[in-house]
Amino acid sequence: MSKIIGAIEIGTSQAKAMVGEVTENRPLNIVGVATRPNEGMRKGEIVDFNKAADAVHAAIAEAEKMSGTTVDSVYLAQTGCHLRGQMLTGSASVSASDNRVSVSDLERASAEATRREPAAGRSYIHHVRTPIVLDGKVVDDPVGMLGKKIDLGYWSIDGDDQAITLALHVLHNYSLDVSDLILSSIASSTMMAGPDLRRAGVLVVDLGAGVTDLAVYRQGYVAYTGVVPVGGDHVTGDLSMGLRVLEPYAEKLKLEHGKASPDPSDEGEDVWIIGNKTIGDRSVSRKAISDVIHVRVVELFEIISKELGELLDPEELKGGVLLTGGGAELPGIEEVASKVLGLPTRKASFTPGSIAPELARHENATVLGLLHYGLEDHGLPGRKRKDNEEGIFTKLKDLIGIG
Amino acid sequence: MSQENFLEQDISFSPANENPGIRAKIIGVGGAGISLVDGLRFDDFQGVENLVVDVDSRALSDSLASQKLSFGRRHTRGMGTGGEYALARKAMEEEKDLIRKNLEGVDLVFLLAGLGGGTGGGAVSVIARLARDSGALVFAFTPLPFSWEKGRHAQAEECLADLRKHANAVIPLPNDSLLQVGGPDATALECFAEAGRNVSKGISAICSLVFRRGMIDVDFAHLRKAFNRKAGRTLFGYGEGEGPDAIRHALRELMVCPMLHLPDVSKAADALLILITGGTGMGMAALQQASMEIREEFKAGEHVVFGAHVDENMGDRIQITVLGATDLEAGLPVADVAPVSEHIIAVSPKAKRAHESKLASVKKAKSSSPSQKGKAKSKGPVDQNTFDFMEDGNQRGIFDDLSSRNLYEGEDLDVPAYLRRGVKIAV
Repeated sequence: MSKIIGAIEIGTSQAKAMVGEVTENRPLNIVGVATRPNEGMRKGEIVDFNKAADAVHAAIAEAEKMSGTTVDSVYLAQTGCHLRGQMLTGSASVSASDNRVSVSDLERASAEATRREPAAGRSYIHHVRTPIVLDGKVVDDPVGMLGKKIDLGYWSIDGDDQAITLALHVLHNYSLDVSDLILSSIASSTMMAGPDLRRAGVLVVDLGAGVTDLAVYRQGYVAYTGVVPVGGDHVTGDLSMGLRVLEPYAEKLKLEHGKASPDPSDEGEDVWIIGNKTIGDRSVSRKAISDVIHVRVVELFEIISKELGELLDPEELKGGVLLTGGGAELPGIEEVASKVLGLPTRKASFTPGSIAPELARHENATVLGLLHYGLEDHGLPGRKRKDNEEGIFTKLKDLIGIG
Repeated sequence: MSQENFLEQDISFSPANENPGIRAKIIGVGGAGISLVDGLRFDDFQGVENLVVDVDSRALSDSLASQKLSFGRRHTRGMGTGGEYALARKAMEEEKDLIRKNLEGVDLVFLLAGLGGGTGGGAVSVIARLARDSGALVFAFTPLPFSWEKGRHAQAEECLADLRKHANAVIPLPNDSLLQVGGPDATALECFAEAGRNVSKGISAICSLVFRRGMIDVDFAHLRKAFNRKAGRTLFGYGEGEGPDAIRHALRELMVCPMLHLPDVSKAADALLILITGGTGMGMAALQQASMEIREEFKAGEHVVFGAHVDENMGDRIQITVLGATDLEAGLPVADVAPVSEHIIAVSPKAKRAHESKLASVKKAKSSSPSQKGKAKSKGPVDQNTFDFMEDGNQRGIFDDLSSRNLYEGEDLDVPAYLRRGVKIAV
């Protein structure tokens, strides 16, 4: 008995679909993956529905073809500046007279935490549970333990209804059900930062084309997620203006010659813009390219530093900073990040052996993470996940009237 | 038209002796405006009147301009506004008649005002409105404060939007861009002098077109026809070349002109003014080629004003100046706009569907759904089939969308970081 699940990321530069198969005795087996360039997005949000839908549909179709099956439901990654995160907390007194914690105590605390309604025109897309505290002590599973009071929290992300509906409609047009919405940053950190690292505390920075996603883990739990509306496209735009070249050439210069900091060995060296020596081609200095990129990258990490504020505590983030996403490929970016954020920084890498080598690429981190995260059980301890469980997303679908 | 003129005229270039009927006036408003006017070499603008306007009577008395007008005494007792642009606007409104008198019979008005200041920011849009009401064509050159002057920057944006409602073309000169000119150790004085040079080049290009006779000639009526709408986004740039291949070099320099590569500058123009000035040896074929290339580069529509002038002093140098405006209530039939004098050459305007100018829809665009936005873009006014390989989005840049500012602590993150941080990039 096997189950086919899909994962979709509608990214600013590309749409990506992945199909996985889960069988009883084997974990996840990836059977299809496809990518299509997406021109319908700016800064993580859909601006041209048709273009975005075409890219997503083409990616799904190809991934399905590759796998030889069809997908019924998918996990969908969410990003964009419309997302806001906040910590919701709830507490409950242990009701049993013998002070033994029961599942219903946890449920009461959880209900209290998630009772708060989002602002008008917005919906929750993701509640991520943070540690359960029993009488001031962090416990993984308090059921059956003795205590008086339970506190628990959810890092809750809400987004703009219009933006969410738009993304859902893209999939709906392809007759696909969305089983859940998962925050991109949480999906990619699931893949790139292992449990040990998350327990040690880590900041995962996913440098996308349109936006940069942040996720902070402390003591194994999500402590913060955020989106900075600056991405690789900004670097391209800066190069286009700074070097006065068209954007396609700026993009090419960035990928081929981009460096996060000026490199003294490049002094006085020039590169051709188009490269085939046609009329109108001219050369620019490598220094100019890295100067433009350097200012932008430094600013990006300064904004991240301001956004995180006190969360950037070396004591709490012993795992340092992990960079992932397309922007992590930029040579020298870890040094810049490390200098600005004041924390050891490295490029994320997949645990060797966990993922087939041909899939172990930064750009696949989010979709792989979607499948893994989606399959894991994130419910309250002591309660087994039921297949037809009414999740947050079912409520959301009612709310915005689709599905 | 051009050939006839060419045959009839003796090629003498004293600016004042042609078109005596056209009156042009340079008006500096506020501190930055006054210093820009003072920075102009009036010799280059013979026949053009100049006027400075301020609430600060000290600043006025120090100015070299020939006409001076102080206003708002009642409010400020002759001192500055202290950055209160609402105050300046109010004071200006109260003294409308005074300005009107100064604008009487003027056909062409150049407004110079720093939009970050109180007087410049507040009074300039009032003057622009009055000038337009009196029938003049209004071009505004407006320095904008540095990105790091956050409060002033926000104010300047507001004033700019207001000014665009009234002037025919507004050419913003962001101070951020000044750091991109000159060598790595250019002094502050040199940088600000560059702002003055930009203004001077723009004004002299327009004045040359109007007052001088050229080989390929245009007159005020053409200019007026091309720009006689409200200002949208504009572009302004220049390039200069020397030697046997001067025109190529000038074109190359024009394409990399820093003024053309600023975030708010349009990459396409519905109305375009091209002026090429060269020495006596300037080749006809080269002119033709250059004008074609410029038109293609900026995807100019039907409103192109092309002028070519010969100046013996140029030697083998060639200078190209372009000034364009776009989204000027794109598509409105010309007849609907303000009346134009009758000796305009008849060009039947293609009946285009009227749709709102981008500026007017700025606020609405925010709430409109993305799919609608996409639609609006595809029926834009650009009807050239050249440069088809350039995507719609590319012409206006990746983030070229006036409706959404990507603000973070008062700075627009979509504006290149090197510009905001003042890092000089050597191209």
